Amino acid sequence: MNQLVQATHSMLDIQQVGLQMNQSYILKDVSFNIQAGQFVGLLGPNGAGKSSLLRCIYRFIKPTSGQIKLLDAPIDSYSRQEYAKQVAVVLQDVPEQFNLAVFDVIAMGLTPHKPLFSSMNHKDKYEIATALEKVGLTHKSNQMFSSLSGGEKQRVMIARAMVQQPQLLIMDEPTSHLDVKYQIQIMELAKSLGVSVLASFHDLNLAAAISDHLLVLHNGELKAQGAPSQVLTSELLSDVFGVCAKVTQVPSAHNEQTLVPHIRYHYGYIQ
Amino acid sequence: MSKLVLSGLLLLLSMSFVSALGFGAIAIELSDIWQALVSYDATNLEQKIVIELRLPRAILAFLVGSGLAMAGLILQTVTRNPLADPYLFGVSSGASFGVVLLFALTGVQAGLVLSGAAFAGSLLAMTALLLIAKSQLNNQVESMLLAGVALSFLFSACTSLLLYWSDPQAVTAIVFWTLGSFSRADWQILWLPAVVVCMSVSCMLLFRRTLNAMLLGDESATTLGVNVTKLRLGMLVLSSLLTAVLVAMCGGVGFVGLMIPHIVRFFVSQASTAGLLITTMSGGLFMLWVDIAARTVLENQELPVGVITAAIGSVFFLALLVLRKRATASM
Repeated sequence: MNQLVQATHSMLDIQQVGLQMNQSYILKDVSFNIQAGQFVGLLGPNGAGKSSLLRCIYRFIKPTSGQIKLLDAPIDSYSRQEYAKQVAVVLQDVPEQFNLAVFDVIAMGLTPHKPLFSSMNHKDKYEIATALEKVGLTHKSNQMFSSLSGGEKQRVMIARAMVQQPQLLIMDEPTSHLDVKYQIQIMELAKSLGVSVLASFHDLNLAAAISDHLLVLHNGELKAQGAPSQVLTSELLSDVFGVCAKVTQVPSAHNEQTLVPHIRYHYGYIQ
Repeated sequence: MSKLVLSGLLLLLSMSFVSALGFGAIAIELSDIWQALVSYDATNLEQKIVIELRLPRAILAFLVGSGLAMAGLILQTVTRNPLADPYLFGVSSGASFGVVLLFALTGVQAGLVLSGAAFAGSLLAMTALLLIAKSQLNNQVESMLLAGVALSFLFSACTSLLLYWSDPQAVTAIVFWTLGSFSRADWQILWLPAVVVCMSVSCMLLFRRTLNAMLLGDESATTLGVNVTKLRLGMLVLSSLLTAVLVAMCGGVGFVGLMIPHIVRFFVSQASTAGLLITTMSGGLFMLWVDIAARTVLENQELPVGVITAAIGSVFFLALLVLRKRATASM
């Protein structure tokens, strides 16, 4: 019974969201829903509107039409701080002109939680230490952020998001510059947090293996959504991504019983 | 670790203050300084020099140094440009222009009005800079710097024009002032820079979390619940005010805002409270010694402090450019 209640609990609800800039549509009539605890993968070729959609959700830009609701309340009804307490974001990459210690970057996650005058207390330090431990960077706490590798930087950003204690974690291609090992590591780390996640992906197989639900965006429109095995078909892959692909079902690496789609691509030059 | 550095700096600071009181045209013994501080006797000439001349001057030098370091730190943080500095961005020149304009029109040489005029001038410069760099505030380090330098030249040209029309005696006074000097320090005027510097430090400490959040980009800061536009505007006005008040009092003292945060950042994470305090204190400490040098390097003569900071600053700036070039070449 309890699980049923959990399962129908809506985290994010998007209704007919559109975004228009200079007379052209970036997003058109996008609607979907994310349940509490779900891991949702957002797919689409470059320029499909993935980042714009995510930006609308984390309130960096305002959609020109439609409505976005977080926990059944319109996102505009939240104050900046309240919203930041619910939604944390890990971006593709962050500018770093300055020397910042890893600890201080993670401590930024406290920003929406702390009133102006307060200083860091034991609980805050404990939370930062826990986050550091979880992403496996305890030994680098005092190092400079700029001296870390790309994968370590993204783990720091995830630790920052953990300290922010959100209900929803949004990730905009957090792994696109990373080695294979870190791509998998970052995504599994995000999944292990137990919060709802909305992440855009470049790697379709990784998305298929890790997501509960997939959204496919093409030219600003939502082309398909559903379970990975329903969404990732040869037809969709050739329509949206312009590649020929064979999709087979293989046992998941996490659980031998579940089947996940596996894609083998070719372009067509070699017969 | 940072507590150790802070207490070391405090110790160094008190020693520097004593040095500032002792060194000068007349060397004053440590015992006399102590006497002057604990039981001041106004009839004793040496004690009078310590209390009436050197102490307010040392305090002013400290305030100006820490204030300018802070103004630089604020500018660097909110524009995410490590080369930002009130002097290089033309804010100081704007303030100078305001002061000289008021002086040329009314002949006023001191007081709050002067600071007001300087503030108006610096705000004008800041607004112009923001309008020019509007679209590229976030990523174009170089173009913002160029815009600042251009503005700085523009305001200097206007100032020179005003000087050209003024009478020669006034010109001498103004020129000496634009070179930077703490010689006008006395107990009556010290409250204004003290209040403004203390206010800025408090503001920085108060908003340190949201300010730090901006260091990783506007988008990242927005996702942490920061009102980026409002905070940036408020902080730019604050740094203009800080620069204006200090310029109105001591003339154009450049490069401190660039140098000090840069050096401190090399050793301490900028986002920590300790980093903030160390920046402020180092700025003050640096300026104290610049002033001591200004008073003692040439016998019976006082060098303008602006000359010394500009000399050190330009060497520093060049070294920085070479290092940056090398860093990009090795990547």
